[in-house]
Amino acid sequence: MRCRPATAHTGGLAPAGARLPGGWSSPLAVALVAAALAGPASRAAADEAPRVMSLNVCTDQLVLALAEPSRIVSLSVLSGDPDYSYLHAQAGAFPNNAGVAEEVFIARPDLVVTGTYSLHNTTQLLRHLGLRVEEFGYTQTLDTIAGDIRRMGTILGHADAGEAMAATFERDLAALALPADAPRPTAVIFGQNGVATGAGTLADSVLAAAGFRNLAAERGFSGMAPYSLELLVVDRPDVVLLSARVEDAPALADQVTRHPAIASSGAMTATGIVPRGSWSCGGPFTLEAVRALRVLRDELLAAEDASG
Amino acid sequence: MSPARLALLLSIAVALLFAASLLVGPAALGLTASLDGLLSGGGEAAAIIMREVRLPRALLAALVGFGLGLSGAALQGFLRNPLAEPGIIGVSATASLGAVIMFYSGLAGASMLALPAGAMVGALVAVVVLLAIAAGNTTTLTLILAGIALSSLAGAFTSLALNLSPNPFASYEIIFWLLGSIKDRSMLHVWISLPPMIVGWTLILASARALDALSFGEEAAQSLGIDLPRARIMLVAGVALAVGAGVAVTGAIGFVGLVVPHLLRPLTDRMPSRLLLPSGLGGAALLLAADIAARTIVPAKELNVGVLTALIGAPFFLWLVTRSRRGLA
Repeated sequence: MRCRPATAHTGGLAPAGARLPGGWSSPLAVALVAAALAGPASRAAADEAPRVMSLNVCTDQLVLALAEPSRIVSLSVLSGDPDYSYLHAQAGAFPNNAGVAEEVFIARPDLVVTGTYSLHNTTQLLRHLGLRVEEFGYTQTLDTIAGDIRRMGTILGHADAGEAMAATFERDLAALALPADAPRPTAVIFGQNGVATGAGTLADSVLAAAGFRNLAAERGFSGMAPYSLELLVVDRPDVVLLSARVEDAPALADQVTRHPAIASSGAMTATGIVPRGSWSCGGPFTLEAVRALRVLRDELLAAEDASG
Repeated sequence: MSPARLALLLSIAVALLFAASLLVGPAALGLTASLDGLLSGGGEAAAIIMREVRLPRALLAALVGFGLGLSGAALQGFLRNPLAEPGIIGVSATASLGAVIMFYSGLAGASMLALPAGAMVGALVAVVVLLAIAAGNTTTLTLILAGIALSSLAGAFTSLALNLSPNPFASYEIIFWLLGSIKDRSMLHVWISLPPMIVGWTLILASARALDALSFGEEAAQSLGIDLPRARIMLVAGVALAVGAGVAVTGAIGFVGLVVPHLLRPLTDRMPSRLLLPSGLGGAALLLAADIAARTIVPAKELNVGVLTALIGAPFFLWLVTRSRRGLA
């Protein structure tokens, strides 16, 4: 633990009586950092849930769901963006951070939660500075959500609440399951610049749970992959799911998703089916994406039956 | 080579490359399926791919290439400068800037229809500025350097505007506006850019006699009965329309207007007027070929076509500069 003296030293340089966010005076904050470093046992002794700072829009929303508001130091700037954050309205009540190590160091939270992918250098620097950083997997699917909820509950000191929320999620997801032989229309999530969402993604697992076949995954694409307009016309999915435009700021990225060839192919296009932000990150709210797509699937099948 | 024969040969090359462009694409359609799709129509996948994806692409490559080649030949003759070209002297870059301001500011309400207007205004500004500089009897080098400065400035403003856009995708579009691409265009792009292009080409081709007269100097041209102010306006407007309308739908594609007139000049009698049509056809052939290469060199990952034209054109430009070093100083 050669980083600990460095922390104490830097803390000692703070002006006397400096007030930190949350009203902690700096010596106390140093003590808390030290306590956090000493491990969960001594934190429990303080008999308080940790003051948490989240640097990632996905961990933001798990924190919002499970932490007491008074223990949230700040959330990432994206937490207020409705395109990425389903809980953006709730997030508005909290300060934002840009995920910069300096901000974290000044705020001195007991716990930093972030994603494994974003801000990797920041994470290493913060650990080096002696902060407790918990990373959550970048790749989420419906199957990882319950585990993430439980883990967040545990590290926030609310293991029971996390367990209850995860169990509810698992029960609700199971209730949505379809029989193996249920009809499954085909779909392609065709985003800006013609980038489709392939296998191994949250959206892919949501599509499957809603009762669709994801043609991008069946074509062997994983993650985000360009799906050429020509292949889209050849494959002709039952529905092409388009992302909503970013309204006030145009970009050419939206042009290909409105290419006339898609309409000519006879594929139905649907925009804004899934509630905004509901499948950008995994959380209890991701079930809303499954439900919305299930409604679309049932409508498609009903229309198919009616027509022939 | 006789002018008619040269034009015929180049037309054949354009036709062959146009056909090749229609046959290249990720959906592996056979020759018969492609032809069938193109001609018979209907709602089948092959017909949609041929008519709505590949045809606009091939048409735009040919049309924009024609405009760039023609504009390059016209500018080289008009400015009596072998290095003049819409890309190098900053006309394409300012056209990009005009289109970017029009589109991303939301003035056009995300409509593509206003793109050519913005690009043509941008191109016009550049041509007028360069003419003003050229009017001061400057050397060839001064004009080129001024054009490069204009080009860098417009490129910087384009990048700035796109970086400042709140749309997260806008900053990735810098590469499109600075290097060009003909990916996933539709017939709408053809229809919005074709009318101004045709007007621009007509204006340039109608100035052919003035270009020839100008090759003897301005005074000689006037003594030959050329209305110089009128010829100037026609050429400026022609280049702004031809280049601006192209840039609006494909971004700035460089060096086509430089390379093509130089390659074809030895095949003509070196009169600027005789170079115009062949340069247009040559530009169409070059851009069609470059666009085919952009799609096939790295399968599954399409290149920006401007990268390829720069790979051919920039070394050529360097060679031209070193070769004509004495003349430039």
